[in-house]
Amino acid sequence: MDAGWTGTSAFGSMAQVGWIVTITIHAFILLLVLWIIVSRVMRRSTERRRRSMVAVWRPLLAESLAEAPATLPSVHPRDHVLFLYLWNSLQESIKGDASGQLNDVARRTGMDTVAVRFLHTGRLRLQLLAVATLGHLKEVSVWEELVRLAHAHNAFLAIEAARAMVRIRPKAAIPLLIPLISTRRDWSPLKVMALLNEAGADLVAAALAQATVSAPPPIAARLIRLLAALRSHYSVPIIRQLMNEQELAEDVIAASLFFFGECSDPRDLPMVRVYLTHPTWYIRVQAVTALGKIGLEEDEARLIGLLGDSYWWVRYRAAEALSNLPSMTEAKLAEVQATLSTIESQEVVTPFLAKFRATKTATALPAA
Amino acid sequence: MTTAPRAEKLTLFLAEDEEGTAILLKFLLARGGYTVVHAADGQQAQTMIDQMPPPTLVLLDIMLPYLNGLQLLAHIRQKAEWKHVPVIMLTADSNERDIEQALAAGANDYMVKPFNPRELTARLQRFVKVAS
Repeated sequence: MDAGWTGTSAFGSMAQVGWIVTITIHAFILLLVLWIIVSRVMRRSTERRRRSMVAVWRPLLAESLAEAPATLPSVHPRDHVLFLYLWNSLQESIKGDASGQLNDVARRTGMDTVAVRFLHTGRLRLQLLAVATLGHLKEVSVWEELVRLAHAHNAFLAIEAARAMVRIRPKAAIPLLIPLISTRRDWSPLKVMALLNEAGADLVAAALAQATVSAPPPIAARLIRLLAALRSHYSVPIIRQLMNEQELAEDVIAASLFFFGECSDPRDLPMVRVYLTHPTWYIRVQAVTALGKIGLEEDEARLIGLLGDSYWWVRYRAAEALSNLPSMTEAKLAEVQATLSTIESQEVVTPFLAKFRATKTATALPAA
Repeated sequence: MTTAPRAEKLTLFLAEDEEGTAILLKFLLARGGYTVVHAADGQQAQTMIDQMPPPTLVLLDIMLPYLNGLQLLAHIRQKAEWKHVPVIMLTADSNERDIEQALAAGANDYMVKPFNPRELTARLQRFVKVAS
């Protein structure tokens, strides 16, 4: 009797536990469904609000490029970030006096103050937005803060701050930024180039070339490559002088030859020719590449000789340089190929012969 | 930037994938009196080129998904009805190789992004005058 009673009691407890578990699971599922519904409704309402904000402000901002409207609607605090995204994306698409018109709109809507506030939040996303905005606005009052942020550990933030500095006071920014450009290997070279171009190639080139002279070899090589991309002739005499120094590092020689090729000044031809026979293969590669840009008919024999180099890259660049010489024709290159004694040197000419033929076909097509 | 009313409607075919730039260009061009036909990628642009009558001007972004601006330019220059339409290329930054290739392939002019809206309008106007 007792045992039966105990069994029934145990069964009752288990059923009770079962019920509790079932109710808990159902409640959990119900809550989950409710949470999904509420978050979807909220997301839709946010999307709707964003769409209506964009629908109002995009045409207004575009219109202000021609003439700013007399009255502007106020921007609700919850739309500040979206407004600044729209405003910055438009600023990135245009240049000239239209940028000033957009600045006027930002100031009239109080976005300059908002951007300064965002700059001090310490939140990366808002700081990036603020830095870009204040750069476009040429806001001098935040200069010190931007200098500090240009040294930030985060490369994105640091380079955006550097870009804003260049927009605000290019002449003051460049001497402060060159040590950073020299040492920050985490800064994208493309972003650095955009920044330097924004400052003005000629303004930057002299300062960068001077920094190259005193920099240790790996940094000097990096700076010379940036100078090559700028193609400013202000820096050519400094790099020429550097090349006349004794015991130059090989990285620096290679970068300088690349620089001479990019600047394409025929006065550097004798210097480039000297390095065609350098024992280091990557220096020969750069010399050959430069010769392809500034070489003359008399360099054909030198380049043909290098088609037999032991390094594939030297052979390939020699063939490319040969095909780039103004005196070279398809027939002449085919003739050169036929006279080559090794399969390696013959094969490396083939793609450039094909390129000659492809160019001929492409130019013939529109006429047809 | 006021525009005098025109006797004939100018049509401009625009191939630009970046939404913000496309909206800005459409606004500026519509304000300049153009009817803008817009394609958002290279493939769509090619289909539209094959189907629509030649416009007054063409504005092509070089970097487009599926088919780039240079390929579209080659396509335009091979089409009998379109091959004399002035084509202006849009390129990001001053990528000289892109510009050289575009001019060699038959582009009439180019604009570097970011662009000056007044300069764009003036350049387009030059071609419209030549065409008329």
